[in-house]
This record gives sequence, structure tokens and C-alpha cells, in this order.
Amino acid sequence: MAERTVIFEIKRQANPDAPAVWERFEIPWRHGMNVISALMDIAGNPVTADGRQTTPITYDSNCLEEICGSCAMLINGKARMACSALIDNLEQPIRIEPLTKFPLVRDLQVDRSVLFENLKRVKAWVPIDGTYDLGPGPRVYPQQQETNYPLSNCISCTCCMEVCPQFNVETGFVGAATIAQVKLFNNHPTGKVFKEERLRALAGDGGVQECGYAQNCVEACPKQLPLTTAISDIGRDVVVQKVQDWLRS
Amino acid sequence: MATVESPASPQLRSGVEPLRAGQGSSFIWRKLHSLLGIVPIGAFLLEHLLSNYEALKGPLAYGNQVKFLNSLPMVRVLEWVFIFLPLLYHGLYGFYIWLRGKSNVVYYPWAGNWMYTIQRYTGLIALAYIIQHVWRQRFTGVMLPENPYYAFHKVQVELSNPWMLAIYVIAMIAICWHFAYGVWLFAAKWGITPGVNARRRFGYVCIALGIGLACLGLAGIFAFVGPWYPSAPIPTP
Repeated sequence: MAERTVIFEIKRQANPDAPAVWERFEIPWRHGMNVISALMDIAGNPVTADGRQTTPITYDSNCLEEICGSCAMLINGKARMACSALIDNLEQPIRIEPLTKFPLVRDLQVDRSVLFENLKRVKAWVPIDGTYDLGPGPRVYPQQQETNYPLSNCISCTCCMEVCPQFNVETGFVGAATIAQVKLFNNHPTGKVFKEERLRALAGDGGVQECGYAQNCVEACPKQLPLTTAISDIGRDVVVQKVQDWLRS
Repeated sequence: MATVESPASPQLRSGVEPLRAGQGSSFIWRKLHSLLGIVPIGAFLLEHLLSNYEALKGPLAYGNQVKFLNSLPMVRVLEWVFIFLPLLYHGLYGFYIWLRGKSNVVYYPWAGNWMYTIQRYTGLIALAYIIQHVWRQRFTGVMLPENPYYAFHKVQVELSNPWMLAIYVIAMIAICWHFAYGVWLFAAKWGITPGVNARRRFGYVCIALGIGLACLGLAGIFAFVGPWYPSAPIPTP
């Protein structure tokens, strides 16, 4: 009886300057397998479908439960998390490619540090450092938590940026994830001390104004963040902030 | 003694630049583009389509409307400050926005992404149409500001060419689409409709607006080519 198999076509690149090549793999099917477990299987026996020995595939992954945000890649042409991409739900051959908007390191691994840099530039944190005990923070009421919790679910996977037509080298757009974090930290009773700075930062080149409202971000987000609502709210807040700045300057 | 050669860390290609926090002036230019699309351009579109609708009442009524508009105080200044310059800016900056976006609707064929793409194509149709329309109807041929009662005749001659009629119909639909979705985009991006339900409901409003405007505009066009005023003579007031 023929063993059930899964066929993969994986785009590989040995280093940032090497040419991209496609390799085909055929591996045994297992119950409940996902793309990451399949990549692990390939690493255990790195042989292509035509029997040629190759190297294990390089990729980022960590938690395997769609919470760390590491394993975003293009699966059958769509940006999504590999760990939650169940093989049984995918059309074969399963085509795997690295994200296209970020500098490639090797194979499926890309450098997504632009998101971290963006989060730093909008001060996406709650400032609590000091030389003495600041005591307990202000109370966050359940009504506020209802708004903030969905925004705090961001896993920095960068899917929203990958699928955004405006996130590219020409615009240098900041992307939906950072805008959503600005809303989250501006809503925080302690974090809002930086509210004006964050809004001014987002009026810089590549800021919220570059959004074309194609709404791909909210479609692609694996954690269902209300990204378009955040862009809308922050878009208004930035306008109000800029008008106030002009009138008070 | 030989040392183990360690591979140098790979030199990454530069990717998308991080946010230039608080720097540059693209915010004001982009917001100006957005605002001008509503006021004055959208407001002018409404006025223009309503004026065209007067053509259904005949060459005399149409001529009277043209005469009225040209009797507004400082009409040439109004024309340049509130129509030509905003249109030129909105069109050219809009084209610049289009060039900087990288449409991916082929890979992500979602509704919003389609609308994003269509907004660019309808904008291009509108820009090309408006350039020829302003050139042929405003700056060449019979000067309508001085001869308002020639207006019906001038448009009727223009639309007697079936190709030109087709261009007018296509451009009318494209422009009404572009404006109606532009109003929706304005509300979404300026934070007037942040809620998902609010955006959906306002979407219905904008669909009605677009269809209504297109019907109004097409009715105006058909006043010139329909059976009511064939080869209309120049009316005398």
C-alpha cells in the first residue's frame, strides 16, 4: 500500500546575494502536521523529492502555538504563520517562500528588525523606570481593558506589513502593527505620558498618513487585531495633535 | 597555526526604512490631497453635475445656468483657486501616491484591496478625462464665459461623436466611483468612522451617493444626445 505523502516546493537562498532556487520535497504524511513540523521533518532527513542530498532549511520559529510571531512566511502565496498552517487544509504542492518585504538572511529567514525599530521610534512602552519605588500603577478599568486587550495581542509577526501595498521601500510606511501599539500605549494610564510624542512621531515621513486603507492588514492579521480601527483612531488623533501644535506654536 | 575560518555575518540588503519620527512634510501634503478631494473638488463635482442637470430643461435653461455661474463675483479667481489648482494638485499628487504604492491585489484579492486598486485607476481616468474636457470645453472653441448661450450647442456637438460620448459616460462613472469611495476613505482615514459597523453603514451611504451622482451625471449627458433637443439652435434669451 502506497504511503501517504505531502509535497512541498520551497524557495531557498543560501545567502542574501545567492540566486533563489526552488527545491521539491516529498515527506510522509502525519496526523495533524503543520508547516513547521514538516520543516522539522525535512531537517531530520534533508533529501529532495528527486533523491538529492541537501541542507536543512533555515527558518525562524519558536513557540509553535501562534504566540511568538516568529514563523511568518508565504504559504501558497499568502503571508501567514507556519505553525498554525495545518497541512490538511492546504492545497498541494505546498509552496513556501520567505516574506518579500524584509531583507533576506537565508532560505525562509528574514530580518524583521524594522518593526522593532519602528516600535522604538514611537516609544511603544510604559515608562516605569525610576530611582525609587513608584508604587502601584493607576487602575485600568474593565471597560478600558476591553479596548486594550485585543491590541495587546500583537505578536509582531509582520504579516500586516508584508501584505500592505503601502509598506515598501518607496514610502517607508511604518505599518499597521506600530500604529496599533501607539493606540494601545496611548490608552494606558501611565503610558499616555508619551501620547503627544507618539502622535508627533507618526506624523513624520512614513507615518500614518501613508496608509492607503486597502485593509489587507486586518484581513491577514493572525491575531485578529482591530488594525483598521486603530489606524482610523490614530489618524484622527495625529491630525488633532498637529493642528494643536500649529495653533499653539 | 591555522585558525578555523568563520563565515562573516551576511551583509543584508537594506529593506524598508523605519519611521522618520517627526521628520519631513509628507503629512501635510498627503492630508491636503485628502482634504482637497472633498472640498473643494467634491463640492465642485456636485455643483457641476447639478448644473448639467439643467440641460434636461433645454438649451435656454442650460445657458442661463452657465450665465449665472459666470456672473459670480471674482469668478475667474474662484475658478483657479477652487477648481483648477486643487484639481491639478489632487491629480498629480494622487498619481505620485499611486507610483509609490505596490499593488498586490493579484496575491491578496480582498475587497478592500480591490477598492484600493480601483481608486487608482478611476483617478487616472478622471485626470486624463478632465484635462481634455477642460481643454476642449473651457479653453478652446467658443468661449462660454462670454457666450453662455452657446453652451448647449458646444456640448451637443462634442457628444455627437459616439467615441466622445463613450468617453464621457465612462469618465462619469469612474469619477462618481472615485468620489464616492473617496468620501468613504476620508471618513475612515480621518477617524470619523473608526468603528467596523460605522464603516460598513457609511459604505452603504457612499454606495448610494455614488450611484445617485452617476445617475444625475448620466441624465445630464443624455439631455444632449437624447430625443428631446436634437440639433438644438442657439437660444436667444
